Amino acid sequence: MSIELWIAVALSALGTLLIRVAPFLWMQRRLDQSDGPTPLPEWLAILGPLMIAAVLGVSIVPVNPNATSWLATALGLFATVLVWRRTRSLGWPVAAGVAVFGITVLSASLIA
Amino acid sequence: MRASTESSARPHAIWHATLQGAREGIPLLGGYIPVSLSFGLVATQAGFTTFEAAAISLLIYAGASQFLFVGMIATGAPLWLVVALTLLINARHLVYGPNLAALLPRSRHWLWLMHGLTDQVFALALTRLPALDPARRFGWFLGCALMAWAVWVVGTVVGAVAGEAVTAYWPLLGEIMPFALPALFLAMTAPRFVDLRWSLALLATIIASLALTLIGASNVAIPLGAACGALCFYAVRFSARRRA
Repeated sequence: MSIELWIAVALSALGTLLIRVAPFLWMQRRLDQSDGPTPLPEWLAILGPLMIAAVLGVSIVPVNPNATSWLATALGLFATVLVWRRTRSLGWPVAAGVAVFGITVLSASLIA
Repeated sequence: MRASTESSARPHAIWHATLQGAREGIPLLGGYIPVSLSFGLVATQAGFTTFEAAAISLLIYAGASQFLFVGMIATGAPLWLVVALTLLINARHLVYGPNLAALLPRSRHWLWLMHGLTDQVFALALTRLPALDPARRFGWFLGCALMAWAVWVVGTVVGAVAGEAVTAYWPLLGEIMPFALPALFLAMTAPRFVDLRWSLALLATIIASLALTLIGASNVAIPLGAACGALCFYAVRFSARRRA
């Protein structure tokens, strides 16, 4: 890579780090200066869980979208919810979801 | 309640919390490994060396914008535009830090450790940190973030060196493992369906971000999807007030 390209990498890296760390430190400073309840604006507190839901929406799309992978996705998500309702944990629902997704994809590839 | 400083925790307690964070971050790897392998492969195909691909993963450490970065460089785009679009895509991270600020202790290490605040680490941290003892939270974040970061860089190197061989030997690896991410995020989102207002906002977010991804706008799907959900959240409140 040329020097110019390394500078572009460095600027992108520094900018990304600032985007991540500056708002965090700014909010911690605000928390330290306030005596009352948390000064986190309501809209910001709402955006947190919604961002997780948005990441879910983005990640639902299969790597290779086709009828089989969409069916596997639906079954995998269903299995995830079922196990989550039973265990209320994070690990087992993920394991069950991936297992059902994988079995569906492998079964479909064997049949085909 | 505010979190205490990490220095108040004993070293072995921080070590245990670090291991716990690394362990609980393992489901994230289902998405990190295939995508980092792909990035290493794409970067070398675009003309970058293994060292350069690894440096990009180490320093920028943001999946979508890294693909954009090497893709634009390969097509000869102006460098200022490459940097600007990389930062624009990562701008969604602006709201992550403030949401975690009250949950994490004060520390000088955040200056570099917040580099590990990706979409996935944020989602897991926002879900898990409130359930942890404040003294364990620094160690937990350290373990989770460093493990994910290290795997991302190692995955890039493996992808750059042997990406084609790996995907040829295990053709389903890249198809099955990434499902760990939607399964994990679903398990994180499920407890938020506490009432009609939140349920509608969450469903609107999921549907909007899914639709945006399907039409090829995945780079803006997260912030726009969340914005749709927020609009829905406030619209439901206003509708309820009008009826009252």
